Amino acid sequence: MRDDPVVIALVDRAAAGDEGAWNEIVDRYAPLVWSICTRYQLGYEEAHDVGQTVWLLLVEKIGGLREPAALPGWLATTTQRECFRVLRVERRHEHTELPPEDQMPPDPDATMIEEQVLAAERGAVFRAAFDTLPSGCRALLSLLASDPPPGYAEISAALGVAVGSIGPMRARCLDRLRRSPQVASLADNTAGIAGARQTRSEGA
Amino acid sequence: MSDAWTDEELLAELRQALKARQAVPPGFVEAAKGALAWRTIDAELAQLTYDSLAATEAAPVTRSEPASIRALTFTSPRLTIELEVAGDSLLGQVVPPQAATIRLQPQDGPEAVIAADQIGCFVIQPAPRGPFRLRCQTDASVDVLTGWITL
Repeated sequence: MRDDPVVIALVDRAAAGDEGAWNEIVDRYAPLVWSICTRYQLGYEEAHDVGQTVWLLLVEKIGGLREPAALPGWLATTTQRECFRVLRVERRHEHTELPPEDQMPPDPDATMIEEQVLAAERGAVFRAAFDTLPSGCRALLSLLASDPPPGYAEISAALGVAVGSIGPMRARCLDRLRRSPQVASLADNTAGIAGARQTRSEGA
Repeated sequence: MSDAWTDEELLAELRQALKARQAVPPGFVEAAKGALAWRTIDAELAQLTYDSLAATEAAPVTRSEPASIRALTFTSPRLTIELEVAGDSLLGQVVPPQAATIRLQPQDGPEAVIAADQIGCFVIQPAPRGPFRLRCQTDASVDVLTGWITL
């Protein structure tokens, strides 16, 4: 997954100024940048500030990335550094008492960042695969993936399909997702599935 | 353990993936897309070679640590720009010392022109709040652009 040829191609095109490729990189990884800001409990304005700096730095660096496939990792560490900066600046500007230690944002360690990067990469792959599914499958799967998922009667009413055909549709759509090139490339790489299983078993 | 995703695993991954996308405010994504417009092709870029924050970034934020003064250095083959935050101002010096025109380019506002004196010193007040970069043009026609800075 780290040598994902799709990411390498996107980075090459974006470095040459291709707006479509840049937008796709943003769509893929904005959730990663955002989730790290959230992890540091930044408000919207602060997160926006961090995001802007991170993406501007990427525009500057993208032509010189030695390993384009390492882009998600670069984004994660740069975002983390900018979050630290914002937390420090806040302290300099507001002469207020800091919250007690137990209310400080958790100290992220390298393992947490690494796990978050892997999860974000899986997320990007699943979103890319999901976006290529037929609209019927997208509608059904987004209902089934909502939290909590609605019952079959509700799904039947929402999509205008018979209750009895939802089960087979579900199996068919999930199979399309499983066999999509994006998800298939994850399954080849046992780190993809193994990592996902480990993350879930830890209750993360 | 099988090497194929089960239906339940696929749904769980998809749930996470779609939830992460929904959580991102649209404005956050739009601003990120706009960043490409700032791509520079032929300017001489000064690289960030020192950042006082970088020295402490590995350490967690603790209450006992004194508030540090932010200092930055940008280096290009022909000149160096030193920056330091002092209260509400941003102090700068061009090295080697020389008169220069400094153009402050905020990411979301108009450019401002500041003169650096004979020994290369300049003051930007108030210090910019959002991302910005500095373009430094000397009488010897050196033209250097710093990377993006957010104080």
